[in-house]
Amino acid sequence: MTRHTDDDAEGAGRTNEASGGCGDCGCGEPSPGVPEAGRDEQPSVFVPDEGEIPETDAADAPDPTRADGAGAADRAATDGGVESASGGTDSTELDPDAYDPVDVFPGGDLDLREGADSCYKCTSCDTSCPVAEVDDEFPGPKFQGPEQWRLKRKDDHDIDESITSCSNCMRCDDACPSSVPLSQMHNEARGQFVERQMEKLSVEYVRNRILANYRTSASLASKFPRTASFAMNFGPARWAMEKVMGIPKERDFPEFATETFREWWKARGGAQVENPDKRVAYFHGCYSNYNTPEVGKAMVRVYEHFGYEVMVPPQKCSGTPMFANGMLDDARRHAETNVENLVEAIGDGADVIASCTSCSMSLRQEYPELFDLHGIEDVAEHTFEALEYLRIHEDLEGELDAAGGLDDERAFAYHAPCHARNQGLSRQAVETFRDVDGVKMEDVGDSCSGISGTYGWKEEKYEKSMEIGAEMFEHMEDAEGEVGMTECPTCAMQMEHGTGYEIEHPLQLLEDTLGA
Amino acid sequence: MDRQVDVVVVGGGSTGCGVVRDLARRGLDAVLVEKGNLTHGTTGRMHGLLHSGGRYAVSDQKSARECIEENRVLRDIAAHCVEETGGLFVKRPEDSEEYFQEKLEGCKACDIPVEVIDGEEARRREPYLARDVEKAIALPDGAVDPFRLCVSNAADAREHGARIETHAPVTDVLVEDGEVVGVEIEHETGPGKRVHREPGTTEEIRARHVVNATGAWAGNVGEMAGVDVEVRPSKGVMTVMNTRQVDTVINRCRPKGDADIIVPHETACILGTTDEEVDDPEDYPEEEWEVDLMIETLSELVPALEDARTLRSFWGVRPLYEPPGTGTEDPTDITRDYFLLDHGDRDDLPGMTTIVGGKLTTYRMMAESISDHVCDALGHEATCDTAEAPLPGSENPARMEALMDEFGLRSPVARRSGQRLGSRADDVLGEYDPNPIVCNCESVTRAEVQDAIGEAGSDLNAVRLRTRASMGNCQGGFCTHRIASELAEEYPEPVVRDAEDELYQERWKGQRHALWGEQLSQAMLNHLLHATTMNRDGDPANLDGEVDFGAFDAGADAGDAGVDGSGGETGTAAADGGRASDDAATDGGRADGDAATDGGRADDDAATDGGRADDDAATDGGRADDDAATDGGRASDDAATDGGR
Ligand SMILES: Cc1cc2nc3c(=O)[nH]c(=O)nc-3n(C[C@H](O)[C@H](O)[C@H](O)COP(=O)(O)OP(=O)(O)OC[C@H]3O[C@@H](n4cnc5c(N)ncnc54)[C@H](O)[C@@H]3O)c2cc1C
Ligand code: SF4
Ligand code: SF4
Repeated sequence: MTRHTDDDAEGAGRTNEASGGCGDCGCGEPSPGVPEAGRDEQPSVFVPDEGEIPETDAADAPDPTRADGAGAADRAATDGGVESASGGTDSTELDPDAYDPVDVFPGGDLDLREGADSCYKCTSCDTSCPVAEVDDEFPGPKFQGPEQWRLKRKDDHDIDESITSCSNCMRCDDACPSSVPLSQMHNEARGQFVERQMEKLSVEYVRNRILANYRTSASLASKFPRTASFAMNFGPARWAMEKVMGIPKERDFPEFATETFREWWKARGGAQVENPDKRVAYFHGCYSNYNTPEVGKAMVRVYEHFGYEVMVPPQKCSGTPMFANGMLDDARRHAETNVENLVEAIGDGADVIASCTSCSMSLRQEYPELFDLHGIEDVAEHTFEALEYLRIHEDLEGELDAAGGLDDERAFAYHAPCHARNQGLSRQAVETFRDVDGVKMEDVGDSCSGISGTYGWKEEKYEKSMEIGAEMFEHMEDAEGEVGMTECPTCAMQMEHGTGYEIEHPLQLLEDTLGA
Repeated sequence: MDRQVDVVVVGGGSTGCGVVRDLARRGLDAVLVEKGNLTHGTTGRMHGLLHSGGRYAVSDQKSARECIEENRVLRDIAAHCVEETGGLFVKRPEDSEEYFQEKLEGCKACDIPVEVIDGEEARRREPYLARDVEKAIALPDGAVDPFRLCVSNAADAREHGARIETHAPVTDVLVEDGEVVGVEIEHETGPGKRVHREPGTTEEIRARHVVNATGAWAGNVGEMAGVDVEVRPSKGVMTVMNTRQVDTVINRCRPKGDADIIVPHETACILGTTDEEVDDPEDYPEEEWEVDLMIETLSELVPALEDARTLRSFWGVRPLYEPPGTGTEDPTDITRDYFLLDHGDRDDLPGMTTIVGGKLTTYRMMAESISDHVCDALGHEATCDTAEAPLPGSENPARMEALMDEFGLRSPVARRSGQRLGSRADDVLGEYDPNPIVCNCESVTRAEVQDAIGEAGSDLNAVRLRTRASMGNCQGGFCTHRIASELAEEYPEPVVRDAEDELYQERWKGQRHALWGEQLSQAMLNHLLHATTMNRDGDPANLDGEVDFGAFDAGADAGDAGVDGSGGETGTAAADGGRASDDAATDGGRADGDAATDGGRADDDAATDGGRADDDAATDGGRADDDAATDGGRASDDAATDGGR
């Protein structure tokens, strides 16, 4: 399985984000917030990179059925990301009765007015929205979703600006008793807003684009991890980030690992177990790769312990931060790579395992809701969160029993990420470890951590983010454990930021308790 | 009372409103009397199509020509009532090619601009069109809001000195010496704006001429004058969808038939229609097969309709007329042309003219021709300018950015308000600050509702027609009480209650024909909220005798608190009361947040509600529980029966 041990495309130097420097936009400034790592490698975050999609799509998806010639070019121009490998709307292979909103409009926009049909106005979504609770200016998911969509007409292109206040925590999805596709509506509206209405050279746009393209920054930073960790958190640089970029000075940038997960994986010679009957493809996401490779390592060791052959296919960002910032073009580009490689892995008999609940959420729900890519439904169907998968397929309880627990008692304050909740996983860590000797796991309640990926990284949202998180901080303080636990890397940042606790991933504890 | 006016126009539909505007602008002293609110008759129950003439291009080219002419006029003078959607006549494989060509030629012959497009292009414009639609004729059909159109006509008439009396049925036509000299009307709640519970009065209005524009009811008014007017009312169903599956008018390109047109209207799509002669325009069966037919047949054109949510259905009656002796069998063959009946010539009864038939699209032209006729009869010289003078609201388009910035409205809200109010937007929206949203589904703000109350009194159905408040997917479940409470500043509590009940009932009426799937869930939720949470099925304020709220406020010691409070129940009441106030407090807290978003008023609401919740809890105590149980049970029975569809 050495095939998968190569680092992904970017490591090999084909950095499509890194085309052209900041000079392109004429601002003449070095971009603050992005470490000084080889100036000409800096990402072109100031320049919306259209024009990349038509090439690939035109090549991959010639569409003989299109009569009007408006075709691919037309789509790419306004593409919210809906062009598809299968030719999209007009493709003759598509089921003539399938009127899927995802491929309705050739312009690339989704028509989600129909989703408003399911809403009966019960307002459960508003009641469970953490942002609406603290932000008086935010009208809430019911307005952002079904109401705004129902009021829309085909030619209306203006979306209310308040959509940018939604953190994409997706609690509203979970709250809705009537399956209104709220987050799909928010994502699409946000994409349309950013595409058409956001000032492309505004500081906010640039900042959001940098945050959304965390992977790009992280991959650069990880080439000089110590400098990057230091530089990003160093006083004057931080000050500049807040003033110029709107990144709150209270936040510490995450530390970059000196060895990324993929470097470790390569160094160790890839998979140690070969087993054509039990294969998993690990979607590590950006954070486990660049910042917390120990989570990735734990995943590999635990899965190998259970006899799985682990594959690590080439991959890019899952898109979570891009959705939250309305950067659907970016998300789509990354999704193409991910889906292509994961489809191949699935073809080799693997299921897809993510250790970050937002990554698994993205592959399972957002991808098929927003993009029409070949094999995307397959990927959604075969994707699982790491602990979830083991709980389904292995006798975890028995194994843990047999392993006998920890010698030195450890207590954890566990927070279930919103995106875990949406996948029905909010109790898995507690249930897995509650009977393990020497482990005390306390659930700190069902509030939102308040960071929601990139939300809490915006200066104007910082206070709100901390206000939302207050309940969780308080409950963590109350809990016996002095170590936090969660599946989501950004929740982990917030937990650490609010309490000073060290935060672990359930896989790390699983590794310890199994002696894997 | 004895003062004589120039003209009384009977009937506040599009025809009557058009006539009174025209006469007033020509300097005549005119009065419009209408038995309900404006558009109470057929005009309020029509399809909303601004005809391009395409529908008549084969069968009735005279009408087709009139349509395209007036279509152009209305885009101009009534821009805020018209949405220029464009229309398509689509051909499915089984539809006749020969007819398609006939239609095309017919349109060209009538000067209707047309373009033939293939199926691909049709689906590019309307992605939900069925994949087997072969081709289509594109032409300038549009959507028109009949309510706004009538209200604007009436408003303009009033500005030119006319008097508008609604809720004032004509009970008699005054005939003296073989001549019509006026009408007797009954003011159901006194003259002027309608206010519930005002005592009724009658009034004689003497006039030099009476115009009978009562459409399908023209025979009744004729009878009062002793003349025969043979209207053959024909009913048609229309089914309202929750969202717009199409943004263009979609017609089926085939000879006349039922269920062949979809008209986008505001936030919804309306499917239609049928054509069945009925005996009485007030009392005819509303049949389920008609609704089923709409959905089944039209999903051949737009398959998504099959599973889409239906909000309600309603019926209208066409005021078809044919000269005595024509004897057409099938109502669809009766001409859609309009007729002007000069009762002086026809029946030897001068002083009255009847106008029947026609279409809403050609209302202005009809009004012009009858006004010419009346001016002739009265020897009044004046020219008609209604084809050029814009209606109030259409002088210049509302600027959305301005509405957003100046009035702090969110963009879809500003857009909708701007479309509804047209050039009046600045004046209306400027009145209220803060200006919270009262009806969420349709994004109607307090300022708009108050503006409509100013015109319509406590008649919330008239407010609804002006603003669209309560016409969205909750069908009033979440807003009738909020709309009604906008009356509270000006009107006493019992008036507010009556007004609320009336609006809620009206909303229920149409929903009865949509009780399956999502709208059934909505109706159940509405019912439970109103019956149980708001306690409107057993509201102590609706019981006989005064409710002694003071007794509760004084505490349990004061003795019997509730209406039916025995000692034991008082205990319960107190306990409940306690809980209710906790809830109120929590709610109040959250409502605070909402308040800021909505603009501050919710604060007060929260306080009031909090207070009221207390009272209710107290008076009700144990009772509410029982009711809830009973009703819950009943409602689901109903649901089961109706949900069979
Ligand atoms: C199902 C259907 C769909 C239609 N669709 C379209 C369309 O898409 N486009 C189009 O252009 N046309 C359409 N029409 C035709 C159009 O609606 C009518 O031609 C038009 O509305 C008639 O208006 P009116 O003022 O003559 O009659 P009405 O609107 O019926 O007005 C008569 C008024 O007189 C009042 N009245 C009755 N008796 C009395 C009394 N005794 N005292 C006082 N007032 C009284 C009534 O309350 C009523 O308000 C449709 C008609 C139907 C039935
Ligand atoms: S995704 Fe989260 S923040 Fe956004 S509307 Fe839904 S609940 Fe609120
Ligand atoms: S929870 Fe669902 S049904 Fe209820 S208001 Fe929100 S979107 Fe509508």
